[in-house]
Amino acid sequence: MVLSVMLFWNYVVGGRDIICYQCSSPYCSTDVDVVVVSNYMFVEGQVELRSGRLKKWLLLVHEVQVSMREIVTIQVGGFANFIGSHFWNFQDELLGLAEDPQSDAVFKNQGLNMDVLYRTGETQQGILTYTPRLLSIGFQGSLGSMSSRGTLYNEIQSVPSDVVTWIADLSTHVSEPRKKNLFLQSLYKEEQEKSHMMNGNNSGKHDFHSDIQDKDIVESLENEVQYWTDFSKVHYHPQSLYELNGLWTDVQQFNNYGIGRDAFSEGLRGEEINERLRFFIEECDHIQGIQFIVDDSGGFSGVAAEFLENIADEYTNIPVLLYDARGPGSYMNPSSQKQSAFQNLHDAVSFSRLSSYCKLIVPVGLPSLNERKATRFLCIENEKAYHTSAVYASALHSISLPFRMEPLGPTDESCYASGALDVNGAIQMLSGQARQNMVTILDVAMPAPSLTGKQLEQSLLGNLQPLTPDTAEDVEDLQAVESMTIHGAHGSGGHSAPVAEVKDAVQAAYGQVMRKPRFSHLSVATCPLPIPLPFPTIFGNLVGQHGELLGSPISSYPSRGSLDVHSIPMAARLRSSTAVLPFLENRLANLRKFGIQQGALGSEVVRSWGFGKDELEDIGETLSKMVTTLRPHSEVSSDSD
Amino acid sequence: MSIRVLNPNAEVLNKSAALHMNINAAKGLQDVLKTNLGPKGTIKMLVGGAGDIKLTKDGNTLLKEMQIQNPTAIMIARTAVAQDDISGDGTTSTVLFIGELMKQSERYIDEGMHPRVLVDGLEIAKRATLQFIEKFKTPVVMGDEPDKEILKMVARTTLRTKLYEALADQLTDIVVNAVLCIRKPEEVIDLFMVEIMHMRHKFDVDTRLVEGLVLDHGSRHPDMKRRAENCYILTCNVSLEYEKSEVNAGFFYSSAEQREAMVAAERRSVDERVRKIIELKDKVCSGTENNFVVINQKGIDPPSLDLLARAGIIALRRAKRRNMERLVLACGGEAVNSVDDLTPDSLGWAGLVYEHVLGEEKYTFVENVKNPYSCTILIKGPNDHTIAQIKDAVRDGLRAVKNTIEDESVILGAGAFEVAARQYLINEVKKTVKGRAQLGVEAFADALLVIPKTLAENSGLDTQDVIISLTGEHDRGNIVGLNQHTGEPIDPQMEGIFDNYSVKRQIINSGPVIASQLLLVDEVIRAGRNMRKPT
Ligand SMILES: Nc1ncnc2c1ncn2[C@@H]1O[C@H](COP(=O)(O)OP(=O)(O)OP(=O)(O)O)[C@@H](O)[C@H]1O
Ligand SMILES: [Mg+2]
Repeated sequence: MVLSVMLFWNYVVGGRDIICYQCSSPYCSTDVDVVVVSNYMFVEGQVELRSGRLKKWLLLVHEVQVSMREIVTIQVGGFANFIGSHFWNFQDELLGLAEDPQSDAVFKNQGLNMDVLYRTGETQQGILTYTPRLLSIGFQGSLGSMSSRGTLYNEIQSVPSDVVTWIADLSTHVSEPRKKNLFLQSLYKEEQEKSHMMNGNNSGKHDFHSDIQDKDIVESLENEVQYWTDFSKVHYHPQSLYELNGLWTDVQQFNNYGIGRDAFSEGLRGEEINERLRFFIEECDHIQGIQFIVDDSGGFSGVAAEFLENIADEYTNIPVLLYDARGPGSYMNPSSQKQSAFQNLHDAVSFSRLSSYCKLIVPVGLPSLNERKATRFLCIENEKAYHTSAVYASALHSISLPFRMEPLGPTDESCYASGALDVNGAIQMLSGQARQNMVTILDVAMPAPSLTGKQLEQSLLGNLQPLTPDTAEDVEDLQAVESMTIHGAHGSGGHSAPVAEVKDAVQAAYGQVMRKPRFSHLSVATCPLPIPLPFPTIFGNLVGQHGELLGSPISSYPSRGSLDVHSIPMAARLRSSTAVLPFLENRLANLRKFGIQQGALGSEVVRSWGFGKDELEDIGETLSKMVTTLRPHSEVSSDSD
Repeated sequence: MSIRVLNPNAEVLNKSAALHMNINAAKGLQDVLKTNLGPKGTIKMLVGGAGDIKLTKDGNTLLKEMQIQNPTAIMIARTAVAQDDISGDGTTSTVLFIGELMKQSERYIDEGMHPRVLVDGLEIAKRATLQFIEKFKTPVVMGDEPDKEILKMVARTTLRTKLYEALADQLTDIVVNAVLCIRKPEEVIDLFMVEIMHMRHKFDVDTRLVEGLVLDHGSRHPDMKRRAENCYILTCNVSLEYEKSEVNAGFFYSSAEQREAMVAAERRSVDERVRKIIELKDKVCSGTENNFVVINQKGIDPPSLDLLARAGIIALRRAKRRNMERLVLACGGEAVNSVDDLTPDSLGWAGLVYEHVLGEEKYTFVENVKNPYSCTILIKGPNDHTIAQIKDAVRDGLRAVKNTIEDESVILGAGAFEVAARQYLINEVKKTVKGRAQLGVEAFADALLVIPKTLAENSGLDTQDVIISLTGEHDRGNIVGLNQHTGEPIDPQMEGIFDNYSVKRQIINSGPVIASQLLLVDEVIRAGRNMRKPT
């Protein structure tokens, strides 16, 4: 009991960014102090217990010494890598803008520490590198024209004609080189130009770039993207890209939990993958968590679950924030009843298994993203993974901002960012409350409306719409907990709003809504979401150059891309709420109907995935616990409906 | 990287078409792998669409690089890969043997024979061959000190099928010594206790055996020594980093002192653990020139590293889980999970610990150990694909030595076994079989010859001549294999060409099983969801 009270306090007062809506609460106190004792910073206050007694409390905010805490990112499966590709493009863009003398001031002082996500390294030639702390796992052949060793550390990769280990015959089998699209060609040329200049060779000034027009690049991407690497502008570390080879199935057949689970453990695969991860974790001084994106639509959920199990085992104290993602393509209409049973079973099993090895799970991915309120200002072609993944990546980017804000004390206001949180903090806040719900909804407002727009309350909070499937609307949940990030918001006169203004506006907005969450953490940054050149053309024609929402269409074309829109304000939110119940209940019901019940259509299938009756019941138990957590009085009996 | 084998044939096919599809798929796979076989085989360089290079002479690796789509080919490939998982070698032979069984069977089926009868014959032949191999094998006595010469011959035979002679011969000693190092009497040999480590080195192709351990990371503190002699080694799995407690609540307190105390407690438990390690170090090292090295499976944060560095300790964090075991086997002592009851007895010892840096890659060598039961094979190569190929070869070599010790017998190679078994089946077994199943025995017998035939073909020899001269010499009562250079019969015993007994046995066992399945097919459906290995 006491713990939960304190935990509540933790986030109500931890920093001033946390808004307390329940000022009438008997626990509320206003005189909060910050104290620093040895290497730790604390917030100190007092609390009135129910008995009426006053007690002082003390709360650790952070270690002063530790200023940067690393995150390792893991992407598993096709759609996860699409999301990741956009995600890293944003980071790459931010890095570029921070250094570009011509860029806007908001990009120069972002108040974000990129070292959280990136690592500094050095090639054998002594060239310094800065690459994502990333492990991406994909299908053999899913890297398109990108080498699995990345580009930075490569020895010269022209096909060597001699083999030093063999004297008898050599036969060389050269696959047709994967053609680079216009975008990748232009990147390549740019690189060459750079190294040309570095070699002091800028005489005659070759303008390599000039023959490829940005307009053509954007157009070619719209039509040609096939692999996630097709639109990636990021340099990856040689340890980052892992391909599953020797699977001997094509993507269509790699479609269920069981097949992926076997794939992980076959041969040396699991071991190799674990070693890759260890490479990135060993170099972290003080890792704060793992950000894990999985495409759970097929075999990769099995791969990820096995991997997560290893992680939980080896790195017990490193929290994992799991985005359980899927592209619209995976919601294709099943051709038969059996197939639909099969899919539903996979969904239930995979969600349940994945959730057992992480601390917080965020289901992401709507069947028809283009028809949803969340994409009201966007113009999305649902069947293009290139399009849909861009939306999810934008939201993930926003959610990740607090993890890399410099953790300043509550009194120490930064003018660029505020509301720092570490992964563990976020997880504890959302899932560690009295109600231990670990399944969280992702909401987004893309672009976020202006703070001074009329009916702001309505629009800001109203525009935040779920990217999580099967959620209920308009639920009343007094226990709801939220963590929101707003960045690059426009204030009065369309200018970028200072942090304080955003906070006030949000507080005001919450003050006026009917259904308030129990509490909400707010993080604010002034830096908007930059739109890199390879970002898809998905903005509607009511979106202006800086992401402002216009009253009337700006052009006659229905959609606008990176050449028209340079940055957008964003709001994204993780929400622990009973609104996620339909999602959970669907899965539970499907598992029972198709897997557990006597004579269920799919019981054979689940067995072939390697689950016995008991295990299946455990899987059901996991799901039904999640439901009861959110609806303590519901009648979830273990026999079927 | 794709060498495609046939197109997937999506529809359900009728029986006869299905059978021929199976046969063709098996032949197709055989064609791809056949040039691989033996010391005169062709090495393959595969260049992917993005320029990635793979180099392989190994059936197993080649199969894994192929994007096989035909379900029959997948079944065969799985059998072959399982062959490698179980016995460590013989992938290529497995694929060739299955392909040839299908080919031989095709002849009879085309002549109207029922597959069922044929399969019965295959089964009879298989059992007879398994009996024959028991008579044919060369027993090797493995006492306390195994016969190193025979181990070397087996290792050399395998390695020379993967690397050119001089390189293979250099590795022969290394793999034999590595296995003998980790071998403990009365215990199963765990090859994982041989670490295989690699370094990329522009101009160097070199492999050496490190008696001790090479770790792929270094200390993480600038003040720690890069080289130390006479080191105590503490192998541990203890978190030396500050972690916020699970529920990061505040605490209640009533006085300022109490507050301070609670605050300090947050960090203190970590510091306490570090201090215990330092205490032990002081205990064993003070007044001596000895050094102290901590190798931890868990993390060590900068404040802890600081404390350790100040105490003159070298510390490595996040060591591989397996290295916990290896370190103890190499250096002695024990892996501790808690620092509570540390005693000098838990410490291991190494004469030398030093760090080697290559770009961002760091290696820590733990060498000059006493009585190691774990060791490291360190491979240097100019690029990744060369390193990977040598690594595969080393694994094959290690398996060959382990198998020999465990099998306590070897099989004469260079096609000698296949020729002998074939003659046995034709001359002795066939006549004991009634009816048309005889033809199944014959098919099996002839299929065995695919090995010497392919060895001959890969050496540029005339296969028919070779088979005639080998079987002729055999029938004169000699056990003969193929001389790869001349095509003449040789005595593999004299040449030191030995294969593993368990590998051969496994090939004879699994080949006909899968071939029978393919022959008895009623219909073929596209490769299914279930990718479990065939049993
Ligand atoms: N010096 C030699 N002369 C003739 N034959 C040899 C010689 N050395 C090895 N062989 C034969 O070569 C065959 C093994 O070849 P290889 O190792 O390439 O194929 P494999 O073991 O079937 O498959 P893999 O090693 O690819 O898994 C054995 O039959 C062996 O007897
Ligand atoms: Mg071999």
